[in-house]
Amino acid sequence: MKFNIEDLPVLFPYPRIYPEQYAYMCDLKRTLDAGGHCVLEMPSGTGKTVSLLSLIVAYQQYYPEHRKLIYCSRTMSEIEKALAELKALMKYRADQLGEEEEFRGLGLTSRKNLCLHPSVKKEKSGAIVDARCRSLTAGFVKEKKERGEDVDVCVYHDNLDLLEPHNLVPNGVFTFDGILKYGEKHKQCPYFTARRMMPFCNVIIYSYHYLLDPKIAERVSKELSKDCIVVFDEAHNIDNVCIESLSIDLTEDSLRKATRGANNLERKITEMRSSDAEKLQNEYAKLVEGLRDADEAREEDAFMANPALPDDLLQEAVPGNIRRAEHFVAFLKRFVEYLKTRMKVLHVISETPPSFLQHLKDLTFIEKKPLRFCAERLTSLVRTLELTNIEDYQPLQEVATFATLAATYDKGFLLILEPYESDTATVPNPILHFTCLDAAIAIKPVFDRFSSVIITSGTISPLEMYPKMLGFTTVVQESYSMTLARRSFLPMIVTRGSDQSAISSGFQIRNEPGVVRNYGTLLLEFSKLTPDGVVVFFPSYLYMESIISMWQGMGTLDEIWKYKLILVETPDSQETSLALETYRTACCNGRGAILLCVARGKVSEGIDFDHHYGRTVLCIGVPFQYTESRILKARLEFLRETYRIRENDFLSFDAMRHAAQCLGRVLRGKDDYGIMVLADRRFQKKRTQLPKWINQALLDSDTSLSTDMATASAKKFLRTMAQPFSERDQAGVSTWDLRDLERHKEKMEEEKIRELRNGGGKMEGDGVDGRFNVQNGVDGDDFEDEDMDALMRDADAE
Amino acid sequence: MSRAPARNGAAPRRPGDEDDICPVCKSSRYLNPSMRFLVNPECYHKMCESCVDRIFSHGPAPCPVAGCARTLRKARFRRQTFEDLHIEREVDIRRRVAGVFNKREEEFESLRDWNNYLEEVENLTWNLLQGVDVKETEKKLDAYKRQNEQEIKQNAAIESQENANTEAQFAAQREQARLRREAARNEELDERREKEEGRREMVDMMARGDGDADTIARETQKVVLKKSTARRTAAERSRQQAAAKVDNGAAAPLFSIQGLKRVVQPAPEKEYDPFGGYVIKHEYYYLRDHYEHSWLDNARSDAQITAGGYDVREYCARAMMEAFGGLGVFVEDEIREREEMADKGVGTASAAAAGGGGGEGVDGDVL
Repeated sequence: MKFNIEDLPVLFPYPRIYPEQYAYMCDLKRTLDAGGHCVLEMPSGTGKTVSLLSLIVAYQQYYPEHRKLIYCSRTMSEIEKALAELKALMKYRADQLGEEEEFRGLGLTSRKNLCLHPSVKKEKSGAIVDARCRSLTAGFVKEKKERGEDVDVCVYHDNLDLLEPHNLVPNGVFTFDGILKYGEKHKQCPYFTARRMMPFCNVIIYSYHYLLDPKIAERVSKELSKDCIVVFDEAHNIDNVCIESLSIDLTEDSLRKATRGANNLERKITEMRSSDAEKLQNEYAKLVEGLRDADEAREEDAFMANPALPDDLLQEAVPGNIRRAEHFVAFLKRFVEYLKTRMKVLHVISETPPSFLQHLKDLTFIEKKPLRFCAERLTSLVRTLELTNIEDYQPLQEVATFATLAATYDKGFLLILEPYESDTATVPNPILHFTCLDAAIAIKPVFDRFSSVIITSGTISPLEMYPKMLGFTTVVQESYSMTLARRSFLPMIVTRGSDQSAISSGFQIRNEPGVVRNYGTLLLEFSKLTPDGVVVFFPSYLYMESIISMWQGMGTLDEIWKYKLILVETPDSQETSLALETYRTACCNGRGAILLCVARGKVSEGIDFDHHYGRTVLCIGVPFQYTESRILKARLEFLRETYRIRENDFLSFDAMRHAAQCLGRVLRGKDDYGIMVLADRRFQKKRTQLPKWINQALLDSDTSLSTDMATASAKKFLRTMAQPFSERDQAGVSTWDLRDLERHKEKMEEEKIRELRNGGGKMEGDGVDGRFNVQNGVDGDDFEDEDMDALMRDADAE
Repeated sequence: MSRAPARNGAAPRRPGDEDDICPVCKSSRYLNPSMRFLVNPECYHKMCESCVDRIFSHGPAPCPVAGCARTLRKARFRRQTFEDLHIEREVDIRRRVAGVFNKREEEFESLRDWNNYLEEVENLTWNLLQGVDVKETEKKLDAYKRQNEQEIKQNAAIESQENANTEAQFAAQREQARLRREAARNEELDERREKEEGRREMVDMMARGDGDADTIARETQKVVLKKSTARRTAAERSRQQAAAKVDNGAAAPLFSIQGLKRVVQPAPEKEYDPFGGYVIKHEYYYLRDHYEHSWLDNARSDAQITAGGYDVREYCARAMMEAFGGLGVFVEDEIREREEMADKGVGTASAAAAGGGGGEGVDGDVL
């Protein structure tokens, strides 16, 4: 369908639109017009991606600036889904407009997924694929080839050089599958095609990391212009992604490997000195001049990249005492040796980067400044030495990154040395955590660089937390409720067991037999009444294991076994995927199954349980983080002191976003239905922290139930759901066709006019009125017949 | 690390030390769990503590390791900081070099000079480390040290001052963080207590039975809310004040301003020179202090003459100047020159003619 939002004509690839989709698009447009950032929460399964894409593509094509869209999502499957959605949208647009637009949309993922080289693509691990690809495609390999030396090259990569650099693929949208096929047909490398075409694309879809992880962003996302529209989808965990991208863990093993790497480097340097001293001399001369060769740094086969650095540092020359290659390697060795020494301490140390630097200087005479240039210098050295087996130097690179970060940021980081793995361990296994406490550091370049950043997810409540933690200001900040023709999901908070005693996963009572038995009964009751699949979430693996073994002792599991198959998620991803497969089979053939999983595990984040795969989700206990972790404690303290976010507020926010994420797993669309049970006494007070759409559907009477009451209302709910439900019932309420949309617009305009009349006097109101009429008329004429089509289709479907 | 072993003593072993064997007495850690190794920065040969006691207790002795004949003293034995003895040695050398070459970046005119200096120093250190031209390098080091003693001392003082400052700053920060933590905890406690009180009050009021239960509940809720917001703002204010106070407090004892230019002492004023740098020098003779003349001796010693301020040396100087006065003047040359000037151009000819009389007068004077 086609409609206008203010002056912007939007083509929407479906005959009907949800009211919240329309609202979402309006707010999106407002944000883009204002040129600021926004946080939007829209219920899962209401077509967030398609509304986002159709509005932004319309915006790109209509306005002369043609702002580029960078769409970031979390997993490979989500990216592929978005690409397919985009492709369908562009096809629809072409049909409607009668011509193919000048438009390119590409996705980017790792080499492993996009490789076509017959032997390289057989490798299992991504790191090896990367390394082998580099050894075939690096710039110096080509140089050697030209000099007539006998080296292996990748024919797919070299074919790219024969094409026009800005026209490697024709216009259109390519999914990963599509580009693989195209690459196979034309014998060109899909990975490098995508990467080189990025500056010429209208839409780029890739993973968060390409933008957030400074090590990758430097290479991949450097050339994107300032007016790009950046979208982070599924962004409820974005703060953790930011933090992880800047945190480094060092172990004794990795330090040992780093030393080995440094020794290798030393050997290579001596080799080069004797064979090809000129190259080293050239590098040295360049460093003396303080020229950072811009082209070289940006080259796509640059092996290692640098962490987030302030620009002034990049302009400066490398300090004199690490200019020479030998000096630098000795410098690195000294630093690694120092770290090894520190690892020998047998008590926990936590210190700030400045105090670390001070101690370092006292002991080894390493100054702050050369340390800052460590990563940069290593990159340059590796490039000069033309090393191909980069993965050997990974640990060394990590150490260098660590050095650079520690010397660059005074605040927002903390060094924590944990000599023992757990409190009870007696054999030391030290880990040096260099942990980032401030999520804003990693994402700051993104906010600085791009004028419009859109953060969106199904569960991103409370909205004001994100701007606070990530350090930005929003133009629009909105949470949409879900319009439903019938009550299609039933959230409940169960606070008491069937014996009326409170249930909770709180530390004091979590292992009491009474509580465990009550949870068991709850699960049993719901496994009896729910058709097909039940998903159960526990706060942690530890708790899950202990409660399952207790249930086994009580005979609860035997009882459940009669109704459902029981499957368990484990930390091992292969086991889990096997369990998932079995679960799906059991749901499909009518046996029904229960999947026991963990609220912070893999299942809770990426896997959808739509329709019969999940009719009930049971959240046993509030999924708090492990609060004794030193890293978490440090972060909490930082949040309190810097952003004035209290410990308990943050912990509760974090627990609730995970709980909401779990609940959202079962409801993946408007024709879906499901029961959501929050089983803990403490949920009662945290109700306000749930996303708006869940909270609205949660009746006051359902906020403190006992097991039997919950069972009764769930039975009633399922009976209602069993009634026939035609699409027609939804029309006009939870889905709009064009006419409904027009009616809504009219109503909005009228309201606006009324407001203006009341507030601002008659004249203005008349003006608005006039314009509105004209616009409305145009729309009506153009799309009358399409509307008819939609109606006809509906009739056919009935 | 030097902190750990002091604390843990002998009981918990460091990882990786288990199978250590003393290279001198061959006793292993298995037999002697409390064995500690020491090194001497003279030759960096490792040996256990008991060996050191045994060999060096009676004064200096040669190193027991075969092929190393250096004389070692017990006092200089110490625990090694780094696992890798090469690094241990490197750090010792660096300490020495850093003690001498301690110039600061501010002293250099440009970044490039500073970087060149750094590289120079690094090269020097590298030579010492690798044993290339050690003698030469040592000589350089010593020479530099002797030349710049004053500066080195000054820079060292500045550096130690800086270190002390940062230490103090760290301490202040730690203290501040502790205070803040405590405040947050107190705040939480207060809040909980207040809530509890509010609830109790509500129950009391209900028990007394004045008014409708709902209104009482609402009222107390409101009161609690008001109280908590008031307390929060107060806490916020006091926190800010505390922060400001701590800032001031921290600044006072270690008052250090960053980014100041070094004050350059103005050079001492030169002595007044009436001739503006023109030196009067005798070209054809030199003045002696004493001339042997019998008829002058009297004038030198006679009080009647000297009392008036008469100085024989002045007389001598004048006499010498008069004697040599015309020596540098060649009249022919000057006349020729004058004529050449006259010939050169019409414009100047008239001027020369006009000045002719004066010129002759001057010549006459000289003659």
